[in-house]
Amino acid sequence: MKYEMVAGFETHVELATNTKIFCSCTTQFGGEPNTHCCPVCIGLPGTLPKLNKKVVEYAIKAGLATNCEIAEISKMDRKNYCYPDLPKAYQISQFDMPLCKNGYIELSNGRKIRLTRIHIEEDAGKLVHRKGDTLVDYNRGGVPLIEIVSEPDIRTIDEAREYVEKLQLIMRYIGVSDCKMQEGSMRCDVNISVRPVGSDKLGTRTEIKNMNSIAFIAKAMEYEFNRQVDLIESGEKVVQETLRYDDVTNTTSSMRGKEDANDYRYFRDPDLVTINVPREKVEEIKSQLPELPTQKLKRYVEELGLPEADAQLLTKYRKIAEYYEKAIKDTKNPKTAANFIIGQIFSRIENETEKEQFNINVSAESLNELIKLIDDGKIRMNLAKSTLEKMLDTGKKVTELLSESDMTGLDENALLDLCRQAVESNPNAVSDYKNGKEKAIKALVGFVMKNSRGKADAVAAENKIKEIIM
Amino acid sequence: MVTREEIMKIAVLSKLFVADDEIDKLTEDMSEIISFADTINNAADEGVEFDNINNLSNVLREDTVKPSLDREKILANAKDNDEGCFLVKNHA
Repeated sequence: MKYEMVAGFETHVELATNTKIFCSCTTQFGGEPNTHCCPVCIGLPGTLPKLNKKVVEYAIKAGLATNCEIAEISKMDRKNYCYPDLPKAYQISQFDMPLCKNGYIELSNGRKIRLTRIHIEEDAGKLVHRKGDTLVDYNRGGVPLIEIVSEPDIRTIDEAREYVEKLQLIMRYIGVSDCKMQEGSMRCDVNISVRPVGSDKLGTRTEIKNMNSIAFIAKAMEYEFNRQVDLIESGEKVVQETLRYDDVTNTTSSMRGKEDANDYRYFRDPDLVTINVPREKVEEIKSQLPELPTQKLKRYVEELGLPEADAQLLTKYRKIAEYYEKAIKDTKNPKTAANFIIGQIFSRIENETEKEQFNINVSAESLNELIKLIDDGKIRMNLAKSTLEKMLDTGKKVTELLSESDMTGLDENALLDLCRQAVESNPNAVSDYKNGKEKAIKALVGFVMKNSRGKADAVAAENKIKEIIM
Repeated sequence: MVTREEIMKIAVLSKLFVADDEIDKLTEDMSEIISFADTINNAADEGVEFDNINNLSNVLREDTVKPSLDREKILANAKDNDEGCFLVKNHA
């Protein structure tokens, strides 16, 4: 029998606020243990939490960017469970009135992954387990999170990967989180079950907790899919439970049986008042949203005429897209700038982090100047390319590298002169060419290009040289 | 009505040890507490303005960092600490 995967995601995203969700302690990553703590976030009796305005705004932003409805009235609830990462023995979260619901993320294959809800909550502390005891650091306790819950709409590992990447991209674009999976500012729980292809019933699901890399998510899902299929094929049953993925052995193992929502004894947090979200506020936040990556991609392809692959590379990080848009401002050919960035500039970037930061020593304005010179016919493409290399090497501007004479084209006579010189000073290349070595002509053209400091038109030069030789 | 089983389940979730001979008494007490709450629920409240948190909304804070508490004070009430952290014993 053939089986298909049915998966849904719960994604925790740390919000990039300055302070925690209910107190004014810093959210900075790292720091000596328990130095970003106060009576509120370590849950001392008698303290009162007060909600951070930014958290509500960021969650609404995230909701709007993922096509969610924004609740008019929302509230905070207590989720009770006993574990040392929670100093109060409850986590302040949202149960039945989340800030955002009914959204979706559209994948490149056209499928929409529905989002059930996005709610706000506090992060837990960090535990370091040792032999016999556990160290508890509450610096992360109270850091604001949004939890993005999807419907079980994901069918393949590729879809899962794209879903997580899209979320990451959107959250970064709108600036609500840096979504650094390796630092834990984005973490995924995956609910996964299998069923025979064609069935519309859901199988028993397991939940793989707290994964912090897309590669691990893919591997864990593959392992878990196969494990569940094997169980069913051998007549056994999948047990509903919470699993941990071990990236060393590439296996999943049981953490605990799954609690019922009931066991968390959710109830309204009496310390926190109702959240009202006026429609004007939603409209205001909507109007401040930047153009989102999918919209940008579409515009680059349809309006600028870029190939989709180029558009994808340019929209992957917001800074690159912003750079590109500045570079093509008032220029005639958007493809030229795309080629410069994807070719010459990207070749100087080592990794994804550098791409994301995109600190290039050639400003977008400088690149814009260079492109305008090409547009105006003042320099030719090959001179532009070598000039860009020099700009990247030195950080100098176009005007510092090119003189006035570089920027005036070569006239007919000067070109003819240079071609004659090329023929006279390279007798070997000339005879090679005459003996049928087509490529020998390149050496002659190269001579012209070099001696014209790149100002000559290579095609015209080649034609001229051929005329002279023949 | 609250059942013995519910009391036992709540005890487990709350990590409370309840001796066998306490369960009946607790079941009774808990039932009384809940029926008292029901009495309040049933009270006529039409036209009565309650001065409670439901009348408040959007009590929000600006996102401005203020100094945290000294770690010494944070850890002052901890039973045990090590390496600047709260220390808890692992249970089997």
